[in-house]
Amino acid sequence: MSTESLALALLIAPLVGSFLALVFFRRKHVIASGIVVASGLVSVIASAMLLFGAGHDVGAITARWFSIGDTPIEFGILLDGRTMIMGAVVALITLCIEVYSLSYMKHDEGRGRFFAFLALFAWSMLSFVYSSSLLQAFIFWELVGLASFFLIGFWYEKPSAVAAAKKAFIMTRIGDVGLFIGLILLFMTTGTLDIPAINTLFAGDGLPEGIAPGRIELIAALLFIGVIGKSAQFPLHTWLPDAMEGPTPVSALLHSATMVAAGVFLVTRFHGLFMNAQQTMEWMLWIAVGTAILSSTMAMVAKDMKRVLAFSSISQLGFMLMGLAAGSLFAGYFHLITHAFFKALLFLCAGAFIHHVGSNDLIAMGRAGAAKQMKLTTVALVIGGSALAGIPFLAGFFSKEQIIGSLPIGAKIGALFAAFLTAYYTFRMIFLIVRPNADSMAVEDEPAHAQHEDGHEHHGPAEPLAMLAPIILLAVGAAGAGYIGNWIGHKLHIEHIEHPSITEMAPAIVIAILGVVFAWLEFGRKGARQTGFVSKIPSMQTLFERRWYLDEIYNVVFVRPVVWFASLCIGAENKGFDNGADAVAHGTYKGGRMVARSHSGRLQFYIGSAIVVVAALALTLGFRNGGGAG
Amino acid sequence: MLTALILIPLLGALLVALAPARFTKTLATAITLGALLLSMIAAFQFNWEFPAHVSFAQSFPLVEQLGINLSVGADSVSLLLILLTALLGPLCVVGSFTSITTRVKNYYAWLLVLQAAVTGVFAAQDLMLFYVCFEFTLIPLYVLISLYGSTNRRKAATKFFMYTFTGSVIALAGLVYVSYVAYEANLTWDWSIKTLQIAAQSMTRTEQTWVMLAMLAGFAVKVPLFPVHTWLPLAHTEAPTAGSVVLAGVLLKLGTYAFYKFILPFTPLAVMQYAPAIAVLAIIGIIYTGLICWAQSDVKKLVAYSSVSHLGFCVLGLFAVNMVGIQGSILYMINHGLSTGALFFCIGMLYERYHTRSMDEVGGLAVKMPIFAFFLVFFTMASVGLPGLNGFVSEFMCLLGAFQSGAGGPGGVEFGTLGPWYAAVAATGMIVAAMYLLYMVGRVLFGPLLEPDGHHEHEKLPTDLSWREISVLTPIAVLCLLLGLFPTPILRSLEAPVGIVLKDMENAYDRALTEAPLVVNDESTTDGVQVVVAPIKEAEAAR
Repeated sequence: MSTESLALALLIAPLVGSFLALVFFRRKHVIASGIVVASGLVSVIASAMLLFGAGHDVGAITARWFSIGDTPIEFGILLDGRTMIMGAVVALITLCIEVYSLSYMKHDEGRGRFFAFLALFAWSMLSFVYSSSLLQAFIFWELVGLASFFLIGFWYEKPSAVAAAKKAFIMTRIGDVGLFIGLILLFMTTGTLDIPAINTLFAGDGLPEGIAPGRIELIAALLFIGVIGKSAQFPLHTWLPDAMEGPTPVSALLHSATMVAAGVFLVTRFHGLFMNAQQTMEWMLWIAVGTAILSSTMAMVAKDMKRVLAFSSISQLGFMLMGLAAGSLFAGYFHLITHAFFKALLFLCAGAFIHHVGSNDLIAMGRAGAAKQMKLTTVALVIGGSALAGIPFLAGFFSKEQIIGSLPIGAKIGALFAAFLTAYYTFRMIFLIVRPNADSMAVEDEPAHAQHEDGHEHHGPAEPLAMLAPIILLAVGAAGAGYIGNWIGHKLHIEHIEHPSITEMAPAIVIAILGVVFAWLEFGRKGARQTGFVSKIPSMQTLFERRWYLDEIYNVVFVRPVVWFASLCIGAENKGFDNGADAVAHGTYKGGRMVARSHSGRLQFYIGSAIVVVAALALTLGFRNGGGAG
Repeated sequence: MLTALILIPLLGALLVALAPARFTKTLATAITLGALLLSMIAAFQFNWEFPAHVSFAQSFPLVEQLGINLSVGADSVSLLLILLTALLGPLCVVGSFTSITTRVKNYYAWLLVLQAAVTGVFAAQDLMLFYVCFEFTLIPLYVLISLYGSTNRRKAATKFFMYTFTGSVIALAGLVYVSYVAYEANLTWDWSIKTLQIAAQSMTRTEQTWVMLAMLAGFAVKVPLFPVHTWLPLAHTEAPTAGSVVLAGVLLKLGTYAFYKFILPFTPLAVMQYAPAIAVLAIIGIIYTGLICWAQSDVKKLVAYSSVSHLGFCVLGLFAVNMVGIQGSILYMINHGLSTGALFFCIGMLYERYHTRSMDEVGGLAVKMPIFAFFLVFFTMASVGLPGLNGFVSEFMCLLGAFQSGAGGPGGVEFGTLGPWYAAVAATGMIVAAMYLLYMVGRVLFGPLLEPDGHHEHEKLPTDLSWREISVLTPIAVLCLLLGLFPTPILRSLEAPVGIVLKDMENAYDRALTEAPLVVNDESTTDGVQVVVAPIKEAEAAR
């Protein structure tokens, strides 16, 4: 098959799948899910054939959409290393999650709709990745947001899910407005929105002619605002933990290769442009470091397994942005890919435990003996967790080393601290599940009740094949994705990848192992209290548990003033403008009554008013002539 | 052709009023479908190669001494709006079958009269015809609201009438002043819009300012522009569904169309000077009414206020005074007509079933009405400006226009007086729009099912949408999608007419600076060739 037809097939399959499932087979769940999985398979095969078959960049396939003045705005499919690798990963992980959902969502009454939305999500994300113009990318960026709105709010009868979905959409939209303005400004500055053209423009050293450095800083900053929203960086990260209200496969999709990955991918896409905005990159670096540490502290105390993973996503996205901000495209991109595997894996494991145990609570899972009943899943959990923690020779280790190796010294210390916390909270999670012990002082928030999330009793095997197969596949990826670094670098046209030497790698390895040991002492060893050192300082514990009170602060600083202002507007509307208009009307009416009374034959009044009118007319005409001559 | 498009609904109204009641619905449907068909034939016959050319021109002398003619004609802008009107016609008729049960004949007759009047406004090439039709739209709508509206209908209808009537009388004063200027220059009365435009452009800045303010008083009420929008929510809330649809779909566009047709080309100097002030009002409107939407519990009022907010973008694009902005703005008129019209249909369907518009009383309907939920979400997303649907392209272009206004850039003209800040502040309206529309969808469709106390299934209507209702919404949905994906043909057809308006404005502006002879682009006589008209200024100076 030709490249064009492959690329088209890969993008159209999920759209068709979504449409058929939603419109025709919403109630015929088996057919709907079958269509969607088949469409996912088509995408995987086509994207793999593109990636391995094409071998080199084949450029872009474009068609005109509309034009602004003489500048055409095009829709297209861009095929280069960056898009093809990411596209293949997105397709693969989506397929894994779709297969997993076959079993996970088996008892849900709306699963036809669920699969349709999954395919919609896949379509939006794939189209975003392969976009050849920024406007097209923005469109699918928004559609990704829409699809996640539907999926987070999938159980729409649950008010908390609806609230979370709205929060996600609105918080990311705040960022989107930044991106949108940045897009317009970029268009005005360079005269194009074509991604390859922009990349060529900013490929060399120094700025292209005629573009002021300040302008580039501004554009980069505006684009970065969009990234902050989408990739859940401080200060717009608060939507992400709440997004856990969606079904677990959705979380897996949202947090690994789609949605949040879109922001980071955008930075890799325009890395050349960002590299010309040093000031913005400096900001990006420190925001990323801050976010990584901040969210790690929240993960340290969370008891909900999905939330621990959500916080870890925020912090890992911080890591990626650190690498990109420090100037290493490869490090950031590499971590984006490896993270996709191990984070999807971890969420699917979490889903399997939740499905089996009927609780999101880590302690409850441990006490229910989930680890013993689900051996393979537990092994996969350990692999995924180790990859996340940066334990040597798993996927996360290599990419994290690359990132830390690229950082300047100040940021490096911050990153190492975050890496330590990552290892600590990851293994806290693992030990709580795997090694429950009798002496534990931990308190369950939510006891296990062996029920499915949506309230259906769970029957059947603990590890059905449809759930196990994706987990195993992703576990292989999480273990092995680190070894394809050179190949990725080659695809990205990075001639020489600096591999850090052993001495440079040592601190990160030591830190990761320290984190694990620390977690072992507090949670893993026999007779561990399983409460964590943070609980010794209650105020800190509360601070972390309440997520640094950021939601409350936003509520006071932003939400309430806006609500207050809205009610002020309502008041102004009803009492001010509307009444004002009514008052004018009443005034006229009263005036009319008075005039009516004057029509009673008082001659003087008639003559007087006639004089006034004539005078006014004369004045107007005089003014007109005078004005005309002048 | 255009005359027929005006006459068919007008005579049809008579027919409906005279024929026995049992034929009313069939007749009204047939007449509106006929008009739609005819408008589509017109669209096919239209010369899209020269979209600025006034096609289907016809003129009937009315009062010869005063030069009053009934002349009609359409360039692409008018034709697109006529098409929109003709499309909404049958949908409104079919959409009202079950909701209107009393005085049926009257209702459909007035609906048809309304369609005739609106078509007349868009087709008018003569000021008198324009103004007569513009005013005449008030009467049918007044009747529709005051007879078929809900509880507070009398007040709403009167308020609507008084508000818009007062405004348009002032506008008339301004327009008559312009024709007096034309009379002085040419020494004959001529009410054709083209002649008046030339005369108007020769006025001084001060005169233009007064004329612009007068026109603004009339047309801004219609748009409606903040702060003269307060009639709209009440009128919308009380109007019957079809009334709301026509009101939002086309009547509001009369205002923006008049902005485009009169204010921009007639008073370029004043526009250049006061565009920032008008843009500020538009932006205040966008955000202010957006926030009001957010605090509403009445669904219909929410959508009504959202109209005000959306049309703010439209006005912003117009007063950017550049190609992108005005193109976007005209596209916005069509898009808003489709998506907001459809939203009013949806709410009407909801109201027919539950007899309430309050979100405190109904909610979580997605469980019971999945098809309704699909359409409501779809049109909400079109309204939010979700890329891929129609609203996005026009919103993007309006904002881009405002952004580029006054700065040279690719695709922009170095003209206009707005700038990046206007666009940046208006863009926050996108967040507000997402907030209130998602809030509405969230409450109406999602969450636990909530129905009014004592609600029982409506005897005539199924739980979810009927085929009739689906067939009303589907054409609009298809168009929303098509316009979102392929806006190019429409945008391209707008280039030439908008180009002429811009060129005229620029020339007038340059002339004011250099007092050069008047140059007018008149594509209707010679395609694209510039005609030099005897400078009126010189004549005045000689006097």
